[in-house]
Amino acid sequence: MIGLRFPKLKCERIVILTGADAVKISALSVVISFMLFGAFVAFEGTDPLVAYEHIFSFAFDPKLGLPITLHRGFFLVFNTLAFIIPMAAGIWNIGMEGQFYLGTIGAFAVAYSFPDLNQAILIPLMLISGAIFGAAYGALAGFLKGKMNVNEVVVTIMLNNIAFWLVYLLTVGGPWAGIAESTSKPLPKNACAPMVWNTPFTSIFVIVVAILVYFFLKKTTIGYQIRTLGSNPIVAKHVGISAPKISVIVMAIGGAIAGLSGYHMWAGDPAFLMIPRPEAYKAIGDLTYWGIILGLICLLNPLTSVPASIFIGSIIVGTTVLVRRLRMPFGLDVLFLGIISLVFAAFQFFHQYRIRRVKVVIGK
Amino acid sequence: MSTTEADILFKDVKKGEIILEMRGITKIYPGGVVANDHIDFDLRAGEIHALLGENGAGKTTLMNILYGLLRPDEGEIYIRGRKVEFKSPLDAIRMGIGMVHQHRKLIPAHTVLENIVLGHPKVGKILNLHEIEREVKELCEKYGFKLDLHAKVWQLSAGEKQMVEIVKALYRGARILILDEPTSELTPVETEKFLESIKVMAEKGLGIVPFVTHKLPIVLSVADRITILRRGKVVARMSREEATMVNLAKRMVGREVLFRTVRVKTKIGEPILEVRDLHALNDRGVPAVRGISFVIREGEIFGIAGVTGNGQQELAEVLIGLRKPIKGKIIFRGRDITNASILERWKLGMGYIPPEREFGAIKDFTLVENIAMNYYFDEKFVKSKFLLDYDKLRELAMKAISEFNIMAPGVDTKAGHLSGGNLQKLILARVMMRRPKLLIANLPTHGLDVGATEFVRNKLMEYKKEGAAVLLISEDLDEVLSLSDRVAPIYEGRFVSILPIEMVKKEEIGAMMAGAISEGVAE
Amino acid sequence: MIWPFITRSLGIATILLLAAIGELLDERAGVLNVGIEGLMLFGGAAGFLAALKWGLLAGFIVGTIVGGAFGLLHAVLSITLKVNQVVSGMGIWLFAMGFVTYWADRYSGPLPMGMVSPSIHGLSPMFFIALAILFAIWFILSRTHLGLKIRSVGEDPSTAEVSGVNVVKIRYLCTTIGGLLGGLAGAFLTLTYLACWSHLPTMGLGWVALALVQFSIWRPPILLAGALLFGFIWQFAISPETIYAGIPAPLPVLRMLPFAVTIIFLTVISSERFRKKWALAKPAALGQPYIKE
Repeated sequence: MIGLRFPKLKCERIVILTGADAVKISALSVVISFMLFGAFVAFEGTDPLVAYEHIFSFAFDPKLGLPITLHRGFFLVFNTLAFIIPMAAGIWNIGMEGQFYLGTIGAFAVAYSFPDLNQAILIPLMLISGAIFGAAYGALAGFLKGKMNVNEVVVTIMLNNIAFWLVYLLTVGGPWAGIAESTSKPLPKNACAPMVWNTPFTSIFVIVVAILVYFFLKKTTIGYQIRTLGSNPIVAKHVGISAPKISVIVMAIGGAIAGLSGYHMWAGDPAFLMIPRPEAYKAIGDLTYWGIILGLICLLNPLTSVPASIFIGSIIVGTTVLVRRLRMPFGLDVLFLGIISLVFAAFQFFHQYRIRRVKVVIGK
Repeated sequence: MSTTEADILFKDVKKGEIILEMRGITKIYPGGVVANDHIDFDLRAGEIHALLGENGAGKTTLMNILYGLLRPDEGEIYIRGRKVEFKSPLDAIRMGIGMVHQHRKLIPAHTVLENIVLGHPKVGKILNLHEIEREVKELCEKYGFKLDLHAKVWQLSAGEKQMVEIVKALYRGARILILDEPTSELTPVETEKFLESIKVMAEKGLGIVPFVTHKLPIVLSVADRITILRRGKVVARMSREEATMVNLAKRMVGREVLFRTVRVKTKIGEPILEVRDLHALNDRGVPAVRGISFVIREGEIFGIAGVTGNGQQELAEVLIGLRKPIKGKIIFRGRDITNASILERWKLGMGYIPPEREFGAIKDFTLVENIAMNYYFDEKFVKSKFLLDYDKLRELAMKAISEFNIMAPGVDTKAGHLSGGNLQKLILARVMMRRPKLLIANLPTHGLDVGATEFVRNKLMEYKKEGAAVLLISEDLDEVLSLSDRVAPIYEGRFVSILPIEMVKKEEIGAMMAGAISEGVAE
Repeated sequence: MIWPFITRSLGIATILLLAAIGELLDERAGVLNVGIEGLMLFGGAAGFLAALKWGLLAGFIVGTIVGGAFGLLHAVLSITLKVNQVVSGMGIWLFAMGFVTYWADRYSGPLPMGMVSPSIHGLSPMFFIALAILFAIWFILSRTHLGLKIRSVGEDPSTAEVSGVNVVKIRYLCTTIGGLLGGLAGAFLTLTYLACWSHLPTMGLGWVALALVQFSIWRPPILLAGALLFGFIWQFAISPETIYAGIPAPLPVLRMLPFAVTIIFLTVISSERFRKKWALAKPAALGQPYIKE
């Protein structure tokens, strides 16, 4: 009898995923996302290649989009780092929006209270205050998670909503209200961020932060405890790592970094604070959610989060062109966020299984 | 209840008739491991036919094949002469095969009745529990089981849980009962009761197949026939009359069983750990440790012998700080550490080997990172205050590999690539290389093969020789007796006695573990 | 003045109830879906757009089905592909945020005149439908063989499997029903409660529903009480003047209230005293993928 040969797909469980494979999976999910996004663009009647050309040529044009790309991109780096540190300990921080708003409040409160301070003192003060506000807000969720065992996902989302209304309270008809609707009074001159290559100096600052976070997680004793807890909470407990302590620490550090993004966001270009009506498209707060997906796609590596964030920043900025020049509908940037999130979630499958073609022979 | 497929299949079955036959069962796992190699097996109605074999002899595979969880690569199964093929456990259940698992397959949060009913094909869409209760009660009466059907399963003892599983299988119409290590978690008293009831069941015409690893005397006392597996093959089959302890053990292991760990006497030094009237609750809030006091001194191994679930796990957890005591005092090297954190205890010189390897190593971490688990708080391995000294840790990991004979390609390999025995050695290495004054070894050889077991036991003995104190918790009485200088049998949260090894009689300890002798000795 | 406030509160309670009872069913089967907010957004957007095209009834039907489709997607991801349930739920939520913004925001605005949901003195019959669904799910869980199977799958899937329960089927069923109910909740929000589409109209209601399920200790009667309570708190936060004209607090302060109360409730329910009860009630296999050996 002649054996029949045909290829068959077989699912195998992976015991340990190698770093290289994980990178491949992440990269592949980004590529697939681009293809799907292209399909949407095509559905809207635009050639995807033309659209991508428009997106990137605008986003990286030094005279047009590049400053905004960098600004938004570095904003994402802050929020990605704020997600990565708690996640390394197994804690879902999706409260970057709230921590960012609180950081904004912290920074602006200092600026409005001491408008006449010397720039060299005022700006560090604003940054420190923003970091402290964000850290406190993050630590609150960390405390509830660690000490009281309250689900951090729900708590951070609730805190986001509270923070939004807090900013709204201050800005719309509140003590910080400016002349235009939904904006605050302008920041004092001394509080504005010095620009480096058309982007606030905090962009350079966050690169340093990313490197520090990398070494923090990799080399320090606390970083080791964080990673141990994140990898296996039971083992961590057995060797004396205190989960409550670590969850407060990681959420405080994450919150501080997200808090710093408050200054970065506003103190450069607009130099005042904008908060949309709740029913309106609130692009800035929604941007922080990119931190989740960027953190996961970068496999919690703080260093790769920098280029990845800039890249995503370019898409966020570039898609505005599709709206203005090609008359495409609003919200394409968040659509891309959505697509990449879902595709990435689906690709998690490959973190556990590998599909192999096996030859099956029937008959002998 | 209407007639089932099994009812028809087993109609008018006579005692002594062959009801189950397995012919030439072969199973080869990917990777080429031959787990079952042409195994023949048969079972008569009303017979207890035990299957004996060591870990890795292929028992589990055979059992899973018989229960439809695995499919054999070759071979056939016949029930009353009819060839059958099981695609899932459901097929096996339908053909009258019932399984009583070693790790109970019951849902703790549900009542006994709910557990018995779950998934039963003949139960209506809306649960008519009164009707079912009546039927289950009838069944219990027939075989002499006493069960509170409305109790939640988590409230039951190990023996009662096993009874629930048996009733569940019988209610499903089982005619052939597979018992996986049926007595491993039972106290001697429960074991007696259990043996009585399986004799009753066999008398009423059921075929029973216990799969057994260790407790050979039990096998001898009830089995009509015994089949022995070794390395996937049937090596012997005998009737009860032919079998003796010695030849059973010899056939199982394939060589004379010898313990090569030799107890050495060391000078007993200062007291290291002193425990006074310790009380603690278990996870469900029930007292588990109920007034335990003892002292361990330098240079001795203190063994705690007991059946699972008598408070030894809770005691170990209280000692290392994983569980808070409700009363009592723990004094370690002259300091009261009753309320100290886990980390403080490690720093003071306690060491803990957890009962499950999953609690002791992280598979995604390299060997170096795993070793670091006991050094991240140690000043000698921290530089400039915050940084872990990975160079020193690497050196330590290399030392661990050579000293503890760990089979690994290198120190940067992830721990997940190691085998179970090597993983246990890794855990042992990271704990013991800290040179703790007190080593709490909680089931240190659990699930290890003979070679690794011997290695671990020798390491403990060596460690004692260096003057450390060791607290050994084990379910294997022979292990406790061969290593310990003093032995404390534990029963229901109390030490029945604390005996120097010279005064120990094995039968007496066994009776104490069963609660048959209560001495209530405190030091 | 007080009657409209009550009917509006019951409107919010209806949304919470529909979304939360679906999630409760999911979780009882061991599947956590943190993406309810996303299911509601999809249900709301699809329902709104369908209503614009084919009328109100079609809106409800389409919204429900689309919600169910995403429930099914969560099932495929988390059960078949064994993706971490939180990652999958987040993915669906973020996808929903992006997709409905792109897809439905261009139709922002109220429903056309005359497209008014039926009401009994201002109270939507949907409230009673939600009550009926709640009762039905409570009955199924506590009194039927199917309910026993669902609870068993949530407690210990491998035991359920050897007892002859098809774990995958049960989990798919529950997750899809949870999706359908989430979609219906969203459709009710945009078609009846708001009667309009605006940017991300759910405003965190889905997350409150998720919290409510934990708060209920996975029991439908407590869930009902929680949904009513939060319905009133939420409505009070939006329009306090209907209760008491002279409320001096500026609006935003009140808008924080439901979220703050949620955190406080969750903290209390997670405290040591309740935790024991909680630990006993929590489906033991919640959040864990079922991997057959």
